[in-house]
Amino acid sequence: MEKFKLEILTPNGEIFNDDVVSVVLPGQEGEFGVLAGHASLTTLLTSGVVDVEKEDKTVESILIKWGVAQISEDKVVVLVEGAVAIRGESESEVAKALEEAKKLLDDVADSSTALASVSAKLESAAQKLI
Amino acid sequence: MANLKDIQRKIKSVSSTQKTTRAMKLVSTAKLRRAEELAKRSRLYAQKMNQVLAEIAGRIECNKVGGLEKNRFFTSIDNPKMVDIIFVTADKGLCGGFNIQTIKEAKRLIASFQNDKVKIRLRGVGKKGIEFFKYNEVEMYDEVVGLSSKPNKEKSDDFIKASIDDFIEGKTDAVYIVYNGYKNMITQELHVNRILPIDTEEFECNDAQPKSMLEIEAEDEERMLNSLVDTYAKYNMYYTLIDSVAAEHSARMQAMDTATNNAKEMVKSLNVEFNKARQAAITTELIEIISGVESMK
Repeated sequence: MEKFKLEILTPNGEIFNDDVVSVVLPGQEGEFGVLAGHASLTTLLTSGVVDVEKEDKTVESILIKWGVAQISEDKVVVLVEGAVAIRGESESEVAKALEEAKKLLDDVADSSTALASVSAKLESAAQKLI
Repeated sequence: MANLKDIQRKIKSVSSTQKTTRAMKLVSTAKLRRAEELAKRSRLYAQKMNQVLAEIAGRIECNKVGGLEKNRFFTSIDNPKMVDIIFVTADKGLCGGFNIQTIKEAKRLIASFQNDKVKIRLRGVGKKGIEFFKYNEVEMYDEVVGLSSKPNKEKSDDFIKASIDDFIEGKTDAVYIVYNGYKNMITQELHVNRILPIDTEEFECNDAQPKSMLEIEAEDEERMLNSLVDTYAKYNMYYTLIDSVAAEHSARMQAMDTATNNAKEMVKSLNVEFNKARQAAITTELIEIISGVESMK
């Protein structure tokens, strides 16, 4: 599979910077997937879950709060206001990340996002890791 | 020759000043480390954000995408009527030329606008700058104290929002920020940033670029750009505050280091003077004793 570079930046630093195979972003008009060689595009993202498929086929889920994605053919830069990656070595670490993610989600509760579905997605992402 | 007691008192006072300045230096060093860390982490985001905006602005300029070239955010106005100037200084002094540099630059900017018959509105962050302009009877449109020593995203958003809103409504034609930023541990760098409208000059038009990189519908583009510019301006304000705090602490650290060294020098020379005075007193006493003995003979 062709790969491309994905950078996810928050005001508090970089949360993700690596080569990936595909990424699914929560656009304002629905989710969309990006593969290598995607046409240039700049768009707004809503709060939701970014699914990243890495080179080794593992999928990582990252919760983001409001953002903008700049997509070019070989690179995707995502600027977000806040983000929590659902990852961890052990069950407790994943649980902690999930908790943090839910806290971030509560912060954006006034947005029109379908919160329940985002929350469910987070749960299932965490479940897969455990 | 000065009195022994006087010199002793002076030595005491100088060395206690030295203790204070050294303590302040240590405090600033600790605070600087934290502020620097925060600024470093945010810098990447701020740079990327500016890059994205500059690119969008450039493409709008070059390709006249979707009739957006008349968008207020991206159109430089050649003869502005009203300009917002925001300056950021520290709330406290004792940091060398840190505040005065910003104030001077703000004054210069104001003077150059007034030369061109442009009305200005001064918005101040930080007690030192506000006090200076008030003392000089320059009218302040808006002022915030306490924000520059403890940057807070919400408060900074509130502060800049007024400027953004006025800009959108057409009350002002440009928004400038003047502040002293962090360069490294020993140098600060003065910045004058025009945050609105966004600079499009640096971007070179290039045929190879795709005609449209934005989403297709024009109304969508407008909405997207508006919220993007809003975030950009707010984040820039916040980053300015973070950068300014880091610079303030580095300036204070340096100023206090110099002050400590000067105090040390002063104690040294006072000690020499004290010893000389003491020796003189001993000599006088000896002469008195000897001459007393002499006269008894």
